[in-house]
Amino acid sequence: MTDYAESQAPNVSIARMDNPDTSVKAPPRPEASKTTLPQPGRPIPSRAYPGALIVVEGTDGSGKSTQLYLLKRWLEIGGYRLHFTEWNSSPLVKSATRRGKQKRLLTPTTFSLLHAADFADRCERQIMPLLQGDYLVLADRYVYTAFARDAARGCSHRWLRNLYRFAPVPDITFYFRAPLEVAVDRILSGRPKLKYYEAGMDLGLSYERPESFKLFQARILEEYDKMVDSDNFVVLDGTLPVNKLQKQMRDIVASKIDLKRFAPRAPEAE
Amino acid sequence: MSDPEKEKEKPVASPPASPEALAKPAVADPDSAQCFFGEPLVGLDPTELNGSLIVIEGMDGSGRSTQIALLQEWLESEGFSVQTSGLRRSNLVGRDIDELLAKNAVTRLTLALMYATDFFDQLEHRIVPALRSGAVVLADRFIFTLIARGVVRGINRDYLTGLYAMALRPHLTFWLNVRPETAFAREFKKAQAISYWEAGRDMSLSHDLYWSFVRYQTMIKRELENMAKRNAFIELDGEASVSSVNKQLRQRIGEQLGIRASKYTPSSALAHLWR
Repeated sequence: MTDYAESQAPNVSIARMDNPDTSVKAPPRPEASKTTLPQPGRPIPSRAYPGALIVVEGTDGSGKSTQLYLLKRWLEIGGYRLHFTEWNSSPLVKSATRRGKQKRLLTPTTFSLLHAADFADRCERQIMPLLQGDYLVLADRYVYTAFARDAARGCSHRWLRNLYRFAPVPDITFYFRAPLEVAVDRILSGRPKLKYYEAGMDLGLSYERPESFKLFQARILEEYDKMVDSDNFVVLDGTLPVNKLQKQMRDIVASKIDLKRFAPRAPEAE
Repeated sequence: MSDPEKEKEKPVASPPASPEALAKPAVADPDSAQCFFGEPLVGLDPTELNGSLIVIEGMDGSGRSTQIALLQEWLESEGFSVQTSGLRRSNLVGRDIDELLAKNAVTRLTLALMYATDFFDQLEHRIVPALRSGAVVLADRFIFTLIARGVVRGINRDYLTGLYAMALRPHLTFWLNVRPETAFAREFKKAQAISYWEAGRDMSLSHDLYWSFVRYQTMIKRELENMAKRNAFIELDGEASVSSVNKQLRQRIGEQLGIRASKYTPSSALAHLWR
């Protein structure tokens, strides 16, 4: 009866969230019209918006935030129209997430759902409108973070893919890959105390937070690696020097995205 | 535990699942496939569940909460432990949803996901523990209302079905069916007002509160009708008297739990409900 199985398709545009048959003005609704979803792995041929979306992904300590910051600075200084958005930052959902974490109320399922609610809020109120308004949107972590992290917690891939199928598919997804040891060292040396969920303590992998963190990150890394091909990740070596990595990133952005579109409009063109 | 006791529990432990009702189960294990709508809940072993999950669906003003209060008293008097659940009652996000609704600052998808969070928090922290201990859970609405509300707001039906794939399949689902016009009168009488959300005002159906309510609830009702057959709803006429609806509920629940036909008159605390 349902097409739930087809919802594994990773690349589904937001337009597909709408029921074709539930326009408020049309009362007689005979049979539920069948929604056809693209098959897994088939790219979306056309997009419904003029903007562009650039995403960075990777485990904690892979260097992705530093790199996205530098990319953002480069584009800002150039005067490009852009918006920057971070994972888990919607003010609407924040208090719930904080309470859930403090009181340790979260299970793999509710952890995942709360983050999806957070993402949906940003998606519906910022990301989609800005993409439609011809902006360059930069996202520090995107749905792949949920795919990797929540799958590492035991949520099924099928359920997760369906949960986020309203998300627009990025134009570029940079995956910063750093060996587990390097990434874990970067985090452990810089942070006095790992948080409960951050360390994956809810999974009961180890009583020691650093050890639990390491095991959890290993699982996440494994999940990320599985998506490299299916989700067209651009893999970058997170161990390279910062400036070298940034050069690669800028070159790729410039070659894949028509940046002129987002450039400031020249006043003399009037 | 003696054998006859086990026998008695058996029908309770495995929910009735009509084969066509199962949406392509993700798991090979037939037992857990019967327990869930689509796939198993992370970390839950369904064989541990001994209790009964009984759902009452119906629009605002259909008499759900009245019937649940009466059923709880009846079941407790019969010696059953009862747990209740309902929308926006989770410790995790119940209050947050109230706030979002009050501010009306939320988009449809975020709201749907907050309701899903609320549902699963109650499922995992309230319903499942109760079922493990062998209690009867009376659920004041379930995924069906949540799916219907999303669908009438234009969220893809399959998306919502997938979202709730890990919900437990109830042993019994009652649907108290009333006409929206009746429901309006009852709701209005309760509070001398109709709330923004009850009337579906966010959907801009009509500037007239009455028509907005009637249209919105009619749309919801149509969605529940769509789901009724597939999910083996037991439809009851919600316009009948409280005592007659209650009698029908007790009869079906009595069969499910193996309670011999028993007389029930509400205690003085609940007598005002027994119109």
